Amino acid sequence: MSGGEYPFLRARHVKYFRRCLQVLPFTSVTFDTSRMAVLYFALSGLDLLDGLSELDIKERQHIINWIYSLQILPGNDRDEQACAGFRGGTTLASCRGKSSCDAVSQLDCGHITMTYTALASLIILGDDLSRVERPAVMAHVAALQCPDGSFFSTRGGSENDMRFMYCAAAICYILQDFSAINTTSATKYILNSMSYEGAMGQGTHLEAHGGSSYCAIATLHLLGKLDSSLSRTQRERLVRWLVGRQSGGGLQGRPNKPPDTCYAFWIGATLQILGALDYLDTTALRQFVLSTQDPITGGLAKYPNSNPDGLHTYLGISGLSLLRKDDLKPVDPALNISQQALSHLHQLHKNISKNPTVPC
Amino acid sequence: MNTVREVEIPTGSMKARGPEVAPVTSGRADVSFEVSLSMGSTANNITEENTRRTPGEEQDDSLDDGSDGETWVFYRERKEWADITPVPQDDGPHAVVKIAYTEAFSDVYDYLRAVVAKGELSERALYLTEDAINMNAANYTVWQYRRKILRHLGSELEQELNFCREMIEMNPKNYQVWHHRRVIVEWLGDGSKELKLTEIIFSQDAKNYHAWEHRQWALKTFKLYDGELDYVDRLLEEDVRNNSAWNQRHFTISQTTGFTKEVIQREVEYTKAAITKVVDNESPWSYLRGVVQHCEGGLASVGDLWEWCQKMYDEGQCSPHLLTFMLDLMEDRMERQPDLRPSLLKRCLEEADAVGYVISLPPSRGQQTVALEMAMNSDNFTGVLTYIINS
Repeated sequence: MSGGEYPFLRARHVKYFRRCLQVLPFTSVTFDTSRMAVLYFALSGLDLLDGLSELDIKERQHIINWIYSLQILPGNDRDEQACAGFRGGTTLASCRGKSSCDAVSQLDCGHITMTYTALASLIILGDDLSRVERPAVMAHVAALQCPDGSFFSTRGGSENDMRFMYCAAAICYILQDFSAINTTSATKYILNSMSYEGAMGQGTHLEAHGGSSYCAIATLHLLGKLDSSLSRTQRERLVRWLVGRQSGGGLQGRPNKPPDTCYAFWIGATLQILGALDYLDTTALRQFVLSTQDPITGGLAKYPNSNPDGLHTYLGISGLSLLRKDDLKPVDPALNISQQALSHLHQLHKNISKNPTVPC
Repeated sequence: MNTVREVEIPTGSMKARGPEVAPVTSGRADVSFEVSLSMGSTANNITEENTRRTPGEEQDDSLDDGSDGETWVFYRERKEWADITPVPQDDGPHAVVKIAYTEAFSDVYDYLRAVVAKGELSERALYLTEDAINMNAANYTVWQYRRKILRHLGSELEQELNFCREMIEMNPKNYQVWHHRRVIVEWLGDGSKELKLTEIIFSQDAKNYHAWEHRQWALKTFKLYDGELDYVDRLLEEDVRNNSAWNQRHFTISQTTGFTKEVIQREVEYTKAAITKVVDNESPWSYLRGVVQHCEGGLASVGDLWEWCQKMYDEGQCSPHLLTFMLDLMEDRMERQPDLRPSLLKRCLEEADAVGYVISLPPSRGQQTVALEMAMNSDNFTGVLTYIINS
């Protein structure tokens, strides 16, 4: 890493995200079932870069329609609704029409991360969520909670950990309906994941980790349980652990690991929620993140001189937004969308005719 | 890691196939665990291992890499699949975030969609899922379908374990392969291979989170704790900075002997030795704090920690972990002997002042925050440690 100052290559990143919106190369085929998430990275990234205006009304409407086309529309059967939500891609979408039996319905299920990123994307584009099948989405979230309080990602079978906990909380917050989840067992799971290091792992006894700590704290915050769940000592220990992640200017995900751009958001946002972001050396952090930019293609990579990808590009930019030193719209650390998009969401909440269910 | 490249794929080896689209944008999808909200795998390996040539069939030139004669035959050209009408992917009008699928990829997935729609759970469908997985190991739906077929056919699960192990070795940071492994092992009710498997992965990357998660699950499920502490010892011998190994140590003890007085004593000595090896290493300091926390007498009640720290400090050790621990010791004392508070607090501030400087943040926080700023050796940056002391 050179000692010089790196400029923020705003225009390049706008172009990078515009390309993501169009076509990804075949080497990105691992994103085939998570195109919705990549869409969210691109849209939220463009939003923070104040580049969304480059999409005209028609383009926006097309994207909104595409998102809704990935929503699974089940019948009224409760079991079917458990498989609702949004898909990440269209791998199996065309099977539904062709299938005479229900062979497909068990496989073509919503995925909790894709449901969250779909809703976030719709909000960013200014949609009013009127086409969201709320009961079905809530049934899908409810069906994915485990007895220990954590969440699976999809009905067809998956692992369960802190990541999907966060997605569940975000979905509930967006739709203002926490009744579908057991917030008591969810909170218990989160607290049980606090290791001897003072931060959270993906589950009980697992190693404390920046990504899981974010998911845990953001969840508690969205549930309105942050202050009541952590003691002062626990909070201080956690802040100390998070601040201790600064290494070589950047932020690492675990002790003695190399710094990685995406933790600018995972760790930065957690500290922001806890009111302790200013304990970081934000100048050094910013320089590290900027050093991971690709000056030719645009985008950011996990390390300097590596290949950029949509995720690191978005989280690097979102992390920079937290620092308020670059020409970026402010981001909300809990939902990871611009404050502007969050305001739109809050306006939608006001417009909801029925009373929102208060988190218990 | 380089982006796209056209590769020639020798028989039997697994390498990435270059795309047929000009490389530009996001390059290799090298998304590690730490960042993905279930984004699938790193290092997707598209393999030639499943090339099939039907005797007498014309070879398809468009995919002929020319180096070894093994070529890919499209499913649409395989006689044994002639009864199936492929189902193309329906992206809808105005799709976004399209992926530039290769022809081979589309062919495989068109046939996959067809068998899924048909509900076919046959041997050939099983083989098809293998091809689909090799092209994108992150497609969890394909894995789910594969499991459905395995159950239906009553397939040989030991063989499936082998397949899974290969996939894990090629894609060690992919969630789906680990989940699949767990399911197959559960079906078999036999966890005897899981320790060896994770050890192989650790020999390449001793901090692979998926592998640690899997190992903990296997240890718990099949009660395989025997020898685990020795294994952790070996890992720490290789790399005393391996935070995952320290975490595993805590896990193993908590699940076996528990933190009895004797165990705490033993672990404190063990950790002190590790710290003496490399003082500026966060992992053992965290572990030390974690272990002593189980003690009722508090931080200073075990292993002469106060004197031990003081000695290092006097010798000129200025690792922020040492200093934070000393402040922890003082805070612990202040809580137990409140009358010592003023003198200890004064000392805290003096020591902090001696190594860095003291910043008082606005009193609205309700307590005095002492932030220690230290220069960290050769890295030449300032790490800020926050330490909250009641005043």
